[in-house]
Amino acid sequence: MTILTPEPVTPGDTATAAPEREFTIKARTQGQMVRGRFIRHRGALIGLTALGFVVVLAYTSIGFWKIPGWWPLDFKDTGTVVNAGQPSLDLIPWIDGDGLTIGDHPFGQDQTGRDYFALTMRGTQISLMVAFVIGIVSTFLGALAGAISGYYGGKADGVIMRFTDLLLTIPILILAAVVGQAVAGGGPFFLAMVLALVIWTSLARLVRGEFLSLREKEFVEAAKAMGAKNSRIIFRHILPNAIGTIIVSATLTIAVAILLEAALSYLGFGVQPPDTSLGRLISEYQNSFSTRPWLFWWPGLFIIAIALSVNFIGDGLRDAFDPRQTRVRA
Amino acid sequence: MAQEILRVQDLAVSFPTEDGTVHAVRGISYTLHEREVLAIVGESGSGKSVSAMALMGLLPKTAQITGSVNYRDQEVLTLPPKKARAMRGRNIAMVFQDPMTAMNPVYTVGDQLAEAYRSHHRVERKVALAKATEMLDRVGIPQAKDRVRAYPHEFSGGMRQRAMIAMAIINNPDIIIADEPTTALDVTVQAQILETLIEVKDSVNAAVILITHDLGVVAGMAHRVLVMYAGKAVERAEVDEIYTRPRMPYTAGLLGSIPALDSAGGRLHPITGAPPSLINLPPGCPFSPRCPLATEICLHEEPPLGPTDLPHHEAACHHWETLAEVPDPTMLFRSEAGA
Amino acid sequence: MTAYVVRRLLASLLILLAASFVMFALVSLSGDPLSEFYASSDPDRELKIESRIDALNLDEPFIVQYFLWLKGAAMCLVPGGGCDLGVNLQNQEVTAVLADAIPTTLRLVLAATVLAIVLGVAIGIISAIRQYSSFDYGITFAAFLFFSLPIFWVAVLLKEFGAIRINDWLAEPAVTLPTAIVIGSFSALFFSALSGGSRKRKVLIGLGAGFAAVAIFIGLVASGWFKNPGMGPGIVIIGSVAGAVGATLLFTNLENRRVLFIAIGTAAIGVAVAYAGYPMLEDPTWLVLVGMGLLVTLVGVGIAYIWGSIDRAAAVRASVVTSFIVGFMVFLDHTISSFASYSDSVNGRPFATIGSNTPNYQGTFWEVTLDTATHLVLPTLAIMLISFAGYSRYSRASMLEVMNADYVRTARAKGLTERTVVLRHAFRNALIPIATLAAIDFGAVIAGAIITETVFGWKGMGVIFTTAVEHFDYYQVMGVFVVTAIAVLVFNLIADISYAILDPRIRLT
Repeated sequence: MTILTPEPVTPGDTATAAPEREFTIKARTQGQMVRGRFIRHRGALIGLTALGFVVVLAYTSIGFWKIPGWWPLDFKDTGTVVNAGQPSLDLIPWIDGDGLTIGDHPFGQDQTGRDYFALTMRGTQISLMVAFVIGIVSTFLGALAGAISGYYGGKADGVIMRFTDLLLTIPILILAAVVGQAVAGGGPFFLAMVLALVIWTSLARLVRGEFLSLREKEFVEAAKAMGAKNSRIIFRHILPNAIGTIIVSATLTIAVAILLEAALSYLGFGVQPPDTSLGRLISEYQNSFSTRPWLFWWPGLFIIAIALSVNFIGDGLRDAFDPRQTRVRA
Repeated sequence: MAQEILRVQDLAVSFPTEDGTVHAVRGISYTLHEREVLAIVGESGSGKSVSAMALMGLLPKTAQITGSVNYRDQEVLTLPPKKARAMRGRNIAMVFQDPMTAMNPVYTVGDQLAEAYRSHHRVERKVALAKATEMLDRVGIPQAKDRVRAYPHEFSGGMRQRAMIAMAIINNPDIIIADEPTTALDVTVQAQILETLIEVKDSVNAAVILITHDLGVVAGMAHRVLVMYAGKAVERAEVDEIYTRPRMPYTAGLLGSIPALDSAGGRLHPITGAPPSLINLPPGCPFSPRCPLATEICLHEEPPLGPTDLPHHEAACHHWETLAEVPDPTMLFRSEAGA
Repeated sequence: MTAYVVRRLLASLLILLAASFVMFALVSLSGDPLSEFYASSDPDRELKIESRIDALNLDEPFIVQYFLWLKGAAMCLVPGGGCDLGVNLQNQEVTAVLADAIPTTLRLVLAATVLAIVLGVAIGIISAIRQYSSFDYGITFAAFLFFSLPIFWVAVLLKEFGAIRINDWLAEPAVTLPTAIVIGSFSALFFSALSGGSRKRKVLIGLGAGFAAVAIFIGLVASGWFKNPGMGPGIVIIGSVAGAVGATLLFTNLENRRVLFIAIGTAAIGVAVAYAGYPMLEDPTWLVLVGMGLLVTLVGVGIAYIWGSIDRAAAVRASVVTSFIVGFMVFLDHTISSFASYSDSVNGRPFATIGSNTPNYQGTFWEVTLDTATHLVLPTLAIMLISFAGYSRYSRASMLEVMNADYVRTARAKGLTERTVVLRHAFRNALIPIATLAAIDFGAVIAGAIITETVFGWKGMGVIFTTAVEHFDYYQVMGVFVVTAIAVLVFNLIADISYAILDPRIRLT
């Protein structure tokens, strides 16, 4: 969709002096407009920066897969507990006069002397991975199911919608806990894939609604009249108009997924040891709140930072795609 | 002549937006007399609706309004909110463009009329409902007694607009502002609605400001016409003269776009192009890019609304004299349409 | 309407049937209920395995297992048909376990939901009316923050700061610099954001409110109020009259003296009844309380009906709302007065962190009420925060959309007051989509309850569910599923019906 400059007026004989000066609106593609509005959204920019920082920190510090990171300690290694395991991080230089310090254990240590910074980074990696896999996979599934349902209607629509009705009847945490328990031991990636299989339903409904209204639009009628194939109509004509809804919803799904993973891991149905995640860390260390509160604070702060950033990015994207800002969100 | 009840002077409205300040109304002046019908004509975006909203105090808070609106020797724009509220609907009432959305879907038509009455008269609900029924009857709604209990969605578009007119006259106002009252309606009911409007206006002795883009609607109704373009009045005259002797090419262009049943060939000659953006309006006459008569001076100097060869007929055009010599002004835009 | 409801119920039943099959399959896949015995060295091992296989029909093929369960479950639909949802691993009837757990969870969920709706919608509306004000920005940020909070993390924090530390402090009330700063700045921020107007005005109001709050706080500590709190007749009367004024404002304006006086009259009667019946309120029952409340309401409505004249409808409504407010003030007064004796009876630790009530607690009506309240407040707060965020965002968006509607412009053009425009015309329409949210949100509230119950050790459905999933307790999990799924379906139906009631354009067929 492009906002085109109106055709310049052809001046008549008597009006040769009239220049084309009344239209100063520059042609901008939808992508440019969306980008422009997104950049103007301060919260979204801060969110994007914060999320970027967390992602880079988590993946470079302790490394991932076979690539080593710059942080010397491993999250699995136990060691001697230094200074009662207190964090050595000091970000406020003027309190004890030591200046900005990072120290050996910036986030402290747990009772077995494991470096809590490395543990938190590992938890952040897993939580991020799970959230993004859930977000991407469930968006793909939901968009696909919603598109088929909304575009073709009829029997396909009936089957898909009854199935979403069915899944939506079961509260998400109940469903997730049971499937989480069923795949316990399968590893976090597998867990994420399975969770994606159960939470695509609300997006499917959203996309279906969008497709239902878009397929009645004139430009789709026109494309049909010109004999365009269904696949071409879906991908060239309808999808670009529904993409805003899908992207915004994908972002918000990631925010929900971060919290869902944390809740499941907290209840013990999510990520299983030896692996860890932010939710597991909180669950493991909640009872040491009175003795070592930092073991509780750090993973919580990281969850909130990620979820808050993603929520703000989602808000910015929604404003960018829908400048009327009238769309309400649940 | 009847007494003057409303005097608008240099009314200007602008809205700050992200892309710059929109000068929606750039200074218009007019007067309105008792029982008179004044038509304000212009394309969408010419500022005609905004100027009416300014009279009613219905513009959003961000709007910057200057100038003066004098209603029976009272300055309206600076009235304290309470007094302004007491005037709205009581002295100046309004009929809106789209009757489909102008009524609250969750209350009955009767409730909404009664509410309008009760907000200016301290009476019991029953009394107000009886009044509402009477008004619905007066605007020609059959079985008003039953219809008073119906919801807006149970009314047709024409009936809803009648109900809106009934709501406007329920407090016996001095002035009714009708903002494109027939635009959203079927052609078949447009004439009936206009007729109803004239009838009830006479019955309550109100003056009407009729806002429209359709010069065809104006002909049978208005006494005087004010033509607006890009936020300014560009021509002001008695209704007959507008049709026969326009002194502003824009008006001539509007006349050329009315389908007339008696014109041979039946070909329309619309104005090409679109009205300018009201942000950063360039100097000169805003109509010049679309104007067949435009010359060098039109690009540099915006003509003020001034007297012409005809009495009580003012136009804002450097070349009104040239236009006066054109035998059929509606044909002014023909060359381009053919090109 | 009836036909619609019946048809919807039948459709829901089919969905429930299909969902139960999917759920049963998932639960069966989740693990083996016999696994705990495999490594056991219990001499009775074989016997126990035998009896569990028998109880759970594990020797049958999966599909038969499902239909055996369904047969028992189907009997729940037949009145007196012997509802049977199987037994759990401890050989207790699942129906009996659920019957114990449901009221506990319901108490938590209902209080949280009602509070979240009332507060969320109210704040959403104010936020919308003051779009782009500092209040709006503050609430928007708070809502995003609440959306992003893990509920268990909040719950743990609430336990620490809302109960343990508060209890410590109440044992030795003292003004410390941090408490004074927290109280002062909180009150300053809240009131200055709420006030609106110019920046200077906001700063002044903020400063005033901050210092006033600190002064009141210091005064209360110095006078030993926290040791023996109460409200006294003065506060009750002031609160009741303020309530009467508020109720008048809600339905008309203060210039309408008739309604104002009727509301204040109702408040006066309410206070008089409360103090005349003081002996009865020493240790009342719910019946006595409701009776007294009803008496005041009826008298108030009577007065409004007789003297309401042309404003009868507004006067009656204002009277009803006023009598509720007075009732609440009196209730609060008595409850707070019992705080000291309650605190003593629980060893000076009034705010509880575990359970839904003190086991075997004996005391007056007010002390028992306090016992429930102090157990309820923190978990309710935890669940509420998250739903509250949703409601405030949703009602803000919905309200903003409605405020631009043509009929709101019409309402203004009629010369209605801004209050009537906002409440009668805009809000009434904004409410329509909010009704739907209440249904959708219910599933989320249940999830919140599961986690919160776990943190706070409530013996509700949440704890039953998590232990059941952990031990592959098939029938127990299915029992929780049935209850929650029915609740979700019923809430959806209620939402659709209320949608139709709120919007005359919708007809249920």
